[in-house]
Amino acid sequence: MAINISKQFLFRKLHQLSGIAPLGFFLFAHFFTNSKALGGAEKFNDAVGELHSVPYLIFVEWLGIFIPLIYHAVYGLFITWEARANNIAYPYARNWFYTIQRTTGIIVFFFVFFHILNFRFGLIPGLNTTPVAGNAEIAFALVAEEFTRLWVVVVYVIGITATVWHLANGFWLFAVDWGIVIGAQAQRYAGYACAALGVALLAVGLNAMAAFIWKGGLLGSEFWGMYR
Amino acid sequence: MSTQINPTNEANISRGTAMGTATYAAPSQTPDGTTEAAQRFVEIKIARRDNPDSAQRWETFRIPYRRNLNIISCLMEIRKNPVMANGERTTPPVWDMSCLEQVCGICTMVINGKVRQSCSALVDQLDQPITLQPMTKFPNVRDLAVDRSQMFDHLKRVHAWVEIDGTHDLGAGAKMSQEDVAERYAYSRCMTCGCCLEACPQYGGDNYIGPQAIAQVRLFNMHPTGKMTRDERLEALMQDDGIQNCGNSQNCVRVCPMSIPLTKAIYEENRETIIHGLFGWLKR
Ligand code: SF4
Ligand code: SF4
Ligand code: FES
Repeated sequence: MAINISKQFLFRKLHQLSGIAPLGFFLFAHFFTNSKALGGAEKFNDAVGELHSVPYLIFVEWLGIFIPLIYHAVYGLFITWEARANNIAYPYARNWFYTIQRTTGIIVFFFVFFHILNFRFGLIPGLNTTPVAGNAEIAFALVAEEFTRLWVVVVYVIGITATVWHLANGFWLFAVDWGIVIGAQAQRYAGYACAALGVALLAVGLNAMAAFIWKGGLLGSEFWGMYR
Repeated sequence: MSTQINPTNEANISRGTAMGTATYAAPSQTPDGTTEAAQRFVEIKIARRDNPDSAQRWETFRIPYRRNLNIISCLMEIRKNPVMANGERTTPPVWDMSCLEQVCGICTMVINGKVRQSCSALVDQLDQPITLQPMTKFPNVRDLAVDRSQMFDHLKRVHAWVEIDGTHDLGAGAKMSQEDVAERYAYSRCMTCGCCLEACPQYGGDNYIGPQAIAQVRLFNMHPTGKMTRDERLEALMQDDGIQNCGNSQNCVRVCPMSIPLTKAIYEENRETIIHGLFGWLKR
């Protein structure tokens, strides 16, 4: 007998999955590449150049990033639209997480849109018109120049924090939505694990950004020198 | 349940002490435990509606305080003499009640902004003025009465019963492990009160099957005979407005007066629907 599933069920499950794979894993890779800036401009530019030599780049980029991203973002807005937040009457932690997940979703929507136009395509007139993609040799300089403006730094701190929150809580949501984590105690431990992951990711993300402002990031170049 | 009717609740203790002091000061005690000098009132604001299509309005009432008043006894007091605090006469308020011991669920309403049963809501534990509103997620029939048939439709949709076919004796059913019995007992306590749906930020306009029906799927899918129609229930959960609409705010499990592990039920069924729905075709 055929299995009878609604499109809505399929779409929701795809939405939950796409947030983790590929998008969540892409963020790990993205932070990893950006963290090469801790080693200096040359190391970062090499990493960017390396990325642009990935075979079948256009397929990887569109199938692995852009299409899942657009799907997750647009369908996410639909889900957010349905929410009837009631945090004042029912101020429980998970209920706050529910509302924050949707709020950060909206922030990330605009932030990522800006970020991609900005660095991937160089389409923000008045700020940046040179895409980092294809200009690996000046990649570090392009980014560092933007981060001399305070408002850009503020936008990125907010954007990175919202993204990391959304992903860390997203891992927890995926674990329960796919029935991996079930009982109350398992939910609690999964929560601690996601919180730890979130803190670590946030530190790595902000440090990578800082590397474009101060040599060697938040800990300074001597720190990295010691381990090089 | 226990937190709401716990006699050692702090609010009760302090109230008891205050009353005791008053008794010594003025020995002319009235039969209901208060003193004439210390006669106090309970102020109650009720959201009224005359019929399903008319607008809602607030009416304020003031009734004499007695010890151990609950919301239903307040409403009965108001019904005896429906005069508002401003002296204006009005119609007796309408609400539903039956068991008066938090077992039937029909007296559920929104009290001071939170959904709960009015029969077990004690005045001594509530801030005043006390506000009473009908649940907002179900059609409001009149005053505090709502039509909860959505929930019963959901039970039909998910096939929340065990099929026993035939008129002949089928013999004893299969045995259940003690563990399963305990888990099923928890789910079986659902009284279809609607608290979980009222507090669910995803629920509104009957757009989601909801935690109450999902827990009943769990109940009947754990039953040895109920298991035989397991897939039918799972597929009911995977239709439009199905289990996928849960947003994991977990309000349901926090407000359920019967302490039913609703999120556990939802996540168990998430696993079952994923395995059946997404991976089931790999078995063919
Ligand atoms: S956990 Fe799901 S079912 Fe329960 S209140 Fe939240 S959204 Fe509703
Ligand atoms: S699950 Fe709990 S809150 Fe929901 S209808 Fe049943 S008893 Fe009421
Ligand atoms: S009257 Fe039955 S639960 Fe309140």
